[in-house]
Amino acid sequence: MSWIRQLTALLVATLVFALVGSTGVAQGQAVRNPDTLILVRFGDPESLDPAYAYDTASSEIFLWHVYETLIFFNGGSTGSFVPMLATEVPSVANGGISRDGKTYTFKIRPNVKFHDGTTMTAEDVKYSLLRFMFMDRDGGPSWILLSPILGVESTRDDKGNLDVSLFNKANQAITASGNTLTITLREPYAAFLSIMAQWSMVVNRRWAIAQGDWNGTAAGLRTLNNPAKPEDTKLFSQANGTGPFKLVQWDRQNRQAILERNDTYWRQPAKLRRVIYRVVEDFGPRRLMLQQGDADIVSVNRVEQTQVEGLPGVRIVDDLPQLVVTGIFMNLKIDVSGGNPDVGSGRLDGNGVPPDFFADVNVRRGIAYAFDYATAIRDCNRNKAAVNRGPIPKGMFGYNPNQPWYTTDRTRAEAAFREARGGQVWANGFKFTIAFNSGNTTRQCMAQVLKSNVEALNPKFKVDVRGVTWAQYLSLYRQSKLPMWIIGWAADYPDPDNFVTPFQHSKGTYGSAQGYNNPQVDKLIVDARNETDPAKRRAIYFQLMKIAYDDITTLYLQPTGFIVMRSWVRGWYNNPAFFGPYVYPMAKE
Amino acid sequence: MATYIGRRLLLLPVVAFGVTLLIFALLQFLAPEMRAAAFITNPNQLNALPAIIEKYGLNKPVHIQYYTWLREVFHGNMGWSQTARQPVAQAIGSFFPATLELTLYSFVPIMLIGVWLGTAAAVHRDRMIDHVSRVFSISFRSLPSFVWGLLILMFLYGRLNWFPPGRLSLEADLFVRSGQFRPYTHLMTVDALLNGQVWIFWDALRHLMGPVLTLTMISIALLVRITRSSMLEVLRQDYVRTARAKGLAESVVINVHARKNALIPVITLSSLTFVGLLGGVVITETIFNFPGIGRWGAFAAQQLDIPGVTGFAMFVAALTVLGNLAADILYAYFDPRVRLQ
Repeated sequence: MSWIRQLTALLVATLVFALVGSTGVAQGQAVRNPDTLILVRFGDPESLDPAYAYDTASSEIFLWHVYETLIFFNGGSTGSFVPMLATEVPSVANGGISRDGKTYTFKIRPNVKFHDGTTMTAEDVKYSLLRFMFMDRDGGPSWILLSPILGVESTRDDKGNLDVSLFNKANQAITASGNTLTITLREPYAAFLSIMAQWSMVVNRRWAIAQGDWNGTAAGLRTLNNPAKPEDTKLFSQANGTGPFKLVQWDRQNRQAILERNDTYWRQPAKLRRVIYRVVEDFGPRRLMLQQGDADIVSVNRVEQTQVEGLPGVRIVDDLPQLVVTGIFMNLKIDVSGGNPDVGSGRLDGNGVPPDFFADVNVRRGIAYAFDYATAIRDCNRNKAAVNRGPIPKGMFGYNPNQPWYTTDRTRAEAAFREARGGQVWANGFKFTIAFNSGNTTRQCMAQVLKSNVEALNPKFKVDVRGVTWAQYLSLYRQSKLPMWIIGWAADYPDPDNFVTPFQHSKGTYGSAQGYNNPQVDKLIVDARNETDPAKRRAIYFQLMKIAYDDITTLYLQPTGFIVMRSWVRGWYNNPAFFGPYVYPMAKE
Repeated sequence: MATYIGRRLLLLPVVAFGVTLLIFALLQFLAPEMRAAAFITNPNQLNALPAIIEKYGLNKPVHIQYYTWLREVFHGNMGWSQTARQPVAQAIGSFFPATLELTLYSFVPIMLIGVWLGTAAAVHRDRMIDHVSRVFSISFRSLPSFVWGLLILMFLYGRLNWFPPGRLSLEADLFVRSGQFRPYTHLMTVDALLNGQVWIFWDALRHLMGPVLTLTMISIALLVRITRSSMLEVLRQDYVRTARAKGLAESVVINVHARKNALIPVITLSSLTFVGLLGGVVITETIFNFPGIGRWGAFAAQQLDIPGVTGFAMFVAALTVLGNLAADILYAYFDPRVRLQ
């Protein structure tokens, strides 16, 4: 049996080598691929067309790397700006913003070259903004410009027909002459500079037309508007911007996007020669790639954090502020049509809840006082979250740190529940479901904490925790079927308007699903949007936060983020408004 | 024989469309909002769900949806795969060669080692080699493939840095897309040799080793056991005793007389194994980040990417029909008693 001996010898040798041999390559490891930055994440970009994409994976790749915006965020600040493709940040003082707060004038930077060597002009900027607005695919980002410039959320009517007259209005609202671009808003809109810093990506007009993209006229709108699939836009997988990196290829088979340095960049060329965004769905290989230096920056979920801590040569920067707010939502108008297992009997008989159970503010207050915030933050969020006093993220303009807020208080919770529905809630008890999307262990844990807190108040109180698939979750939430659910919101642009609208407005993404309708809130949101005096605007947001407290329809938590990278990565800095690392100033050494 | 093959080939579209019909019928159980979820990449898009459902006709009756889809397929359009970010036909075309290459490299050791070890175990029944092969088969088989995959990745990549995940290293990958490399077959190792780039051949081989090792370990067990039991049965037959009695060398008795007849069940199993590998090895491809068709198929199913899943299922159905056909032809070759009509 000589082969057995050989096999055994080989196995033993392998094991011995594996165990006592090199303990990884990490210690004193030389920089791997010194001129190439490799970012490994999960989730593919949806499209590399800046007018189509509305997901972080896409924006992370092209934003400020391939395409640039008129103005940019100043360092880590989300509220102050520096010029980028414009030569100055418009303000009332420099005449860039008109006295009535409606007209913005941008001086376009001369001699900026696109990746094909042609010069960028104000016409390119205008084309790019119009293209962004009129692509308007269902579920796309176009509303972000449509809303302030034209005062509409969509370019189509209820039947889905394109309203061409909007194009003439847009054509008048945005004018290019010489190196000046002027945008006239429908109403003064205080968040407009924030929007411009993120959503004014400039594409090459002449090149785009040559590729068969939109020709810039009203007649061409039909093919541009609402494309059926992402590939229908010519900029889906090719790009020609002004940024420090050019798109070499988006390789969908190997799930990677490759960028290469633009050597004729209008500023100092980037230090890195190449940037590669790679998708590796499984955490195991992602972690090993980080350990071996084959990945420089990897995406890690909070629950996996311990598995990358203490890896030699790996640096973790924690407690990063994020423009993300997690809500625990209560549904004031639960849909029970066609049966709804999540409300039990559908009556207040101890075995269910009626559809308007949460319409009673005492019930909502009871929940808000019962919830053990400290435990939820410690056990479910690894202490990396904080209670938020309303929908506006802490630290953002409009956030009131002195707004009184709910703390865990069993006595008050009990008092509120005793008062609810004239004492019926306390006497009869109830049963309902709180849902989370399965796989999200943080949300699952928070739902469990809430369940045990509420059930501890009264033996007749019952809360079920139910995990549902993401797809089903969306469906149930959308139909207002879930009595309570947990979901997050990430900013489209760093402005309080982008938080109060989805959370508090009766037509907002979450407000509408909750059946929340407070006409005063709707009015205040619009007032704040149009108010250009920062002091007055802040006062309105403070008022909205007070109503968020009084009406308490949602409990708010703000999780912090972290980034995991090889310690040879230099030049990284955080701005909560970024969708991913800003690679231009980065290097490896 | 030709008619037999022809008839089996005629069955192919029938099976493929039967499979798609089944998938569409199953989809009836899902609400349109759920099927629209594949198009939602960001919670900020949730308010657009009704428009997305309308746009893709997800609220239409299932027979209308099936008819629309079928009409497109007859026009050569299998739809857009939201998970592959490309049209379905193109996705199959781009993912399949990687899986084919992986299958070819795994199938050879699986067959050679499996049949040889199975035969050896039967011939030396209850001896050392029989016990060892049994222990190995059972232990390889009894742990799920993701455990083996991760163990192999941890030791052979994490510790030794021999066999990294993916299909090529960075340098090789950049060279392949530099324009100096022509993809003739899309099988990386073959193309590397055709282009005269031996270093790329070795690089590609290095990346194939991990998944090949995993697949060999988990697929070999069954083959060893089947070969062994089939071989034991044949060895008890009279004609084997006769062969021995007339003084033939033991190696001739085993390798020529006995083994050929023992291979019939092995052919069935190996054709199924081969088709199974070709249809994509989901877990192994995912763990090793190998850009094959299985990784995509599983992802498409997870995300309810309807055109993607349907196209993938059609493809696998066609493979299965062809695999069974190949097995039937091989039977006739190995066993003259089987006549194909």
